[in-house]
Amino acid sequence: MGISGLTKVLGDHAPSARKDNEIKNYFGRKVAIDASMSIYQFLIAVRTGGENLTNEDGETTSHLMGLFYRTLRMVDNGLKPVYVFDGKPPTMKSGELAKRLEKRQEAEKTVAEAEEKGDQETADKFRRRTVKVTREHNEDCKQLLRLMGIPYVEAPCEAEAQCAALAKAGKVYAAGSEDMDTLTFGAPVLLRHLTFSEARKTPIAEFHLDQALDGLDLTHDQFIDLCILLGCDYCDSIKGIGPTRAVSLIKEHGSLEKVLAALDKKKYPVADDWPYEEARRLFKEPEVADPETIELKWNDPDEEGLVEFMCKKNGFNEERVRNGVKRLQKSKSSGVQGRLDGFFKVTPKTAMDGDKKRKADAAKTAPGAKKAKGAPATRGRGRPRK
Amino acid sequence: MLEARLPSAVTLKKIIDAVKELVQDANFDCNDSGIALQAMDSSHVALVALLMRAEGFDPYRCDRNIALGINFATLAKVMKCAGNDDNLTIKAGEDADVLSLMFESTNSDRISEFDIKLMDVDADHLGIPETDYSATIKMPSAEFQRICRDLSVMSETVTIEAVKDAVKFIASGDTGSGSITVKPNQAVDKKDMEVTVQLQEPVKLAFSLKYLNHFAKAATLAGSVTLSLSDDVPLMVEFAMDNDLGYLRFYLAPKIGDE
Repeated sequence: MGISGLTKVLGDHAPSARKDNEIKNYFGRKVAIDASMSIYQFLIAVRTGGENLTNEDGETTSHLMGLFYRTLRMVDNGLKPVYVFDGKPPTMKSGELAKRLEKRQEAEKTVAEAEEKGDQETADKFRRRTVKVTREHNEDCKQLLRLMGIPYVEAPCEAEAQCAALAKAGKVYAAGSEDMDTLTFGAPVLLRHLTFSEARKTPIAEFHLDQALDGLDLTHDQFIDLCILLGCDYCDSIKGIGPTRAVSLIKEHGSLEKVLAALDKKKYPVADDWPYEEARRLFKEPEVADPETIELKWNDPDEEGLVEFMCKKNGFNEERVRNGVKRLQKSKSSGVQGRLDGFFKVTPKTAMDGDKKRKADAAKTAPGAKKAKGAPATRGRGRPRK
Repeated sequence: MLEARLPSAVTLKKIIDAVKELVQDANFDCNDSGIALQAMDSSHVALVALLMRAEGFDPYRCDRNIALGINFATLAKVMKCAGNDDNLTIKAGEDADVLSLMFESTNSDRISEFDIKLMDVDADHLGIPETDYSATIKMPSAEFQRICRDLSVMSETVTIEAVKDAVKFIASGDTGSGSITVKPNQAVDKKDMEVTVQLQEPVKLAFSLKYLNHFAKAATLAGSVTLSLSDDVPLMVEFAMDNDLGYLRFYLAPKIGDE
């Protein structure tokens, strides 16, 4: 899933790229969320006694529960979510997908064995690994979103890539996904942990691509190469090259071609047909719908429709659903608090510009060199000196 | 290095008390013209801009521009230790890692000294464009404080409507609604009690009362407050300090209706 070890690489080389924030600080922000990933999370996490929630007919409803409440949580906090669903997987991913299928089958086997032995704990643990998001799950979720008045987009291919494209085009503020490769696809801002449960109190991790590139001192193209070297969904990584070596190799040689040329093939065996160029193309020009043609509209929720779908069909508590509808309506009706950064622009942190904000009063003093303000490398809240 | 003596420590205490709930940490940017501070609250809705001019201090010395990163909760606690009549001397050495504060009482020989560790605060600086506001309202700061407090009873949001010769503050919520109208007057003997409304064109904007109540805490700092409004720009609330020391300004992004 995603890029192996990228979070750690960023933590080591570009700590300023990551900021932890509370969800309430994102009010008014539009966020494109990788729906397939979220649904998968819900299917794993929303359980009672190790089993998925089901309706009277025995159909799973965990994903609906998760989607409904986590979306409400975002809406309560003033966020405007838009969900993006996966299309067909790229052919390059077939290797990765086959691996996942294999793992799933293995897990199923373990479940059966554990149950035979009566080892409930292991059975539960591995049952979570057998989860698969089906077409029905997706359709259920789309219907729920329609009823809630939340927009969704069907990506032609990978959802992360579409989220990134939406964020890049400025249609949304950020892409919400757990997959770090959303950054590789060029999303300027990535939010993780958006759809986590409130009870876990996990702060939202915000990753900034420009800061990451700054910290690593790489161009975006080199960053893509780095991600391929670290290991992505599209092709295997090179055996023996871990995060540390990957970073130093890319920094030293500047591109994958040169890295390969310089690499000692005996020590690090590279498959002859290592499809890194194809992977790179997928990251650079992913198959996405043109963001400009996508119109995002948040509508009023359909209360009766929701009650019909959630309560009658899927056995949810009517009172809770109606309550949720009220929350949706409330956030629709009350005016949205504006953000200052929409009005005032951040001035670049150069010595001269630091003085600008005071120019009205300080104009009389020489526009002198305001020495770098502490030159701190970290973003966010302060930390003690030394 | 920086060395500045403020005749009244209470002034800084009031500033910090008004700001500390909006801002956790911020840089005091010191240069030879004075001390300035700009900080946003964590949700980027409100901005605090403080300026204390060198002329307000006696003496004031700052040879090199320095940024002093301060934790406001700590500073607020230290400022509590200042007596009402104390004067305050602040000092920070070249590449210092502490800010020294010294309170000297004017009528006794008591001197208290505190050092606060500095922090590396990295916050974005925002460029605030010069704005010609459609409406500028000056009123007693206590009156502003009271309006904000009273209207909080009804709603979280207040709509400020400025028309010719009157300003109306309206709040309506689930349980009812309320409004307070303020009209210009000339208080002959007390300048602070004066209400004036300068209007280029009528404006009507909605703001969060929670933030306005935070701003209103600065009422102890100045007798009057100036509210400046224009369509689609943040509200500016300015408290000008006595003796031309400088100002404490708050900016607040308006609430916007559905797009």
